[in-house]
Amino acid sequence: MTLSWKRIYAIFQKDLKDLSKNLYVTSIFILPFLMAFLYGKMYDANLEIHYIIINLTLASVTAFIQCAVIAEEKEKHTLRGLMLSPASVADILTGKSLVSFILSVVTIVLCAMITGYEPANIVYVSIAIFISMLFYLALGTVFGLLTRTVVEASVIFLPVIFLFGFGSMLMMLVDKYPVLSFIEYLPNIQLVDFAYKVEEGAGFGELWSHLAILLAWGVVTIILAAVVYKKREIDK
Amino acid sequence: MENIIEVKNLAKVFGNQTALEDVNFSVKKGETFGFLGPSGSGKTTTIKILTGQLMQTAGEAEVFGVKNSSLNSGSYRRRIGVLSDNSGLYQRLSIEDNLKLYCDLYDVPRKRMDEVLELVNLADEKKKIVSKLSKGMLQRVLLARTLLHEPELLFLDEPTSALDPANSKQIHEGLRRLNEKGTTIFLTTHDMSEAETLCNRVAFLHKGKIQLLDEPMALRRQFSDGSVTVELRDGKVVNLPGGKEGAEEVYNYMSSNQVVSIHSNEPTLGDIFVEITGRELV
Ligand SMILES: Nc1ncnc2c1ncn2[C@@H]1O[C@H](COP(=O)(O)OP(=O)(O)O)[C@@H](O)[C@H]1O
Ligand SMILES: [Mg+2]
Repeated sequence: MTLSWKRIYAIFQKDLKDLSKNLYVTSIFILPFLMAFLYGKMYDANLEIHYIIINLTLASVTAFIQCAVIAEEKEKHTLRGLMLSPASVADILTGKSLVSFILSVVTIVLCAMITGYEPANIVYVSIAIFISMLFYLALGTVFGLLTRTVVEASVIFLPVIFLFGFGSMLMMLVDKYPVLSFIEYLPNIQLVDFAYKVEEGAGFGELWSHLAILLAWGVVTIILAAVVYKKREIDK
Repeated sequence: MENIIEVKNLAKVFGNQTALEDVNFSVKKGETFGFLGPSGSGKTTTIKILTGQLMQTAGEAEVFGVKNSSLNSGSYRRRIGVLSDNSGLYQRLSIEDNLKLYCDLYDVPRKRMDEVLELVNLADEKKKIVSKLSKGMLQRVLLARTLLHEPELLFLDEPTSALDPANSKQIHEGLRRLNEKGTTIFLTTHDMSEAETLCNRVAFLHKGKIQLLDEPMALRRQFSDGSVTVELRDGKVVNLPGGKEGAEEVYNYMSSNQVVSIHSNEPTLGDIFVEITGRELV
């Protein structure tokens, strides 16, 4: 499949302009910044807190905004127009992911500056967060394609934000109930484990398994998004 | 003349509901083809199949020689324009920003925007935000967007339903100009007068099949009973049947110089539809 950067950029530009006028969706930005300011002031922020904010950003800004912009295209019957244009699935989904991606990067960087997070190895951490973002973008896309309206998407997304945003609290459950140990493999928990190891000075040899799990989540969800999209494109 | 659309034994079943049973027709290059039928008769379903948005249950649909399985390819999409019955625009953006996106998606120069807006009489409104537009303007913007890449074949699904006469007329004029320049138009409507003014040929879709297909004038001739309506000097209006009997009466009225006007009673497309289907178009 070929990518057309001209088409991707056109969709990105449109989304950016559209989002800048969409108060309902952009108000979600308040969440991570609010947390960053509160925690940044209250505590001498530790790694746990940095990653509550990063995971919250991934769930709310990355995944939810992605979900909302896709759901809105469906609700307002504009997605059909994109599908009927010569733009390919990859063009449309990449174009539609670019805004949430860039806004997430900006949010994470700004929040890290507020809470004073300075990773021991910024390259490793960036790679892990980038791979995580692929998963969250695809997750938002799937939800956006499956729901009919922005409001419906927001309601369905609340538990998702809770699960991935505040997932580290779930780890307390795992300690109590070993049955739930699969929770450890969730991408948000993997990202935190990864970050701890980086701070301990671990090398790639100890880190790659976390990256592989994150990548697996991303790939599976991206394939799922493409399948759901194709289903939407042609009714049977 | 060359056939652009070729539909054979097309059928579409949704669950246990048959939308199209056995539909056959072809559309010639350069014509405006009217696809008429009451709501729920399967007009939108047919357009969706022809534009690669829906798979048929049986039969064949071929456009430009492209078979149904490839009706969602990029190269096919570049040649067609689709104005569906629920196309949408980005509400928070201006007309111009909406069209810019589509210029880039179709890889056409931005100056095409002004040309298409000219065609639908919206050249002075391009800075307006879409959410502030009237229904008629919205539909004209959608038509403009559909025309950006100069499609050879246009699919229009009820382009003027819910529009006031003034806006409908503007759209009709735009379509006529396009057709004169060679664009083939496939148009669905339940507005019989629209079909009569715009279409070279019309097909009546009912009960999953095409019940009639011909030029509007030919249909009206075919269904004419040969009767005439005569208006007389004393203000009376009489309806006379065709044939010898009627002709004699016309002769009598005319010889005694009583006639003010004579009109032949060929039926409208609407009348013919009611006769064929036993129901009004809604
Ligand atoms: N996706 C669908 N699922 C089930 N039934 C459908 C679907 N789309 C259309 N139909 C049914 O098929 C019939 C034809 O619909 P449609 O093509 O929209 O008619 P028209 O455009 O002539 O008003 C209707 O009875 C409608 O209810
Ligand atoms: Mg319809």
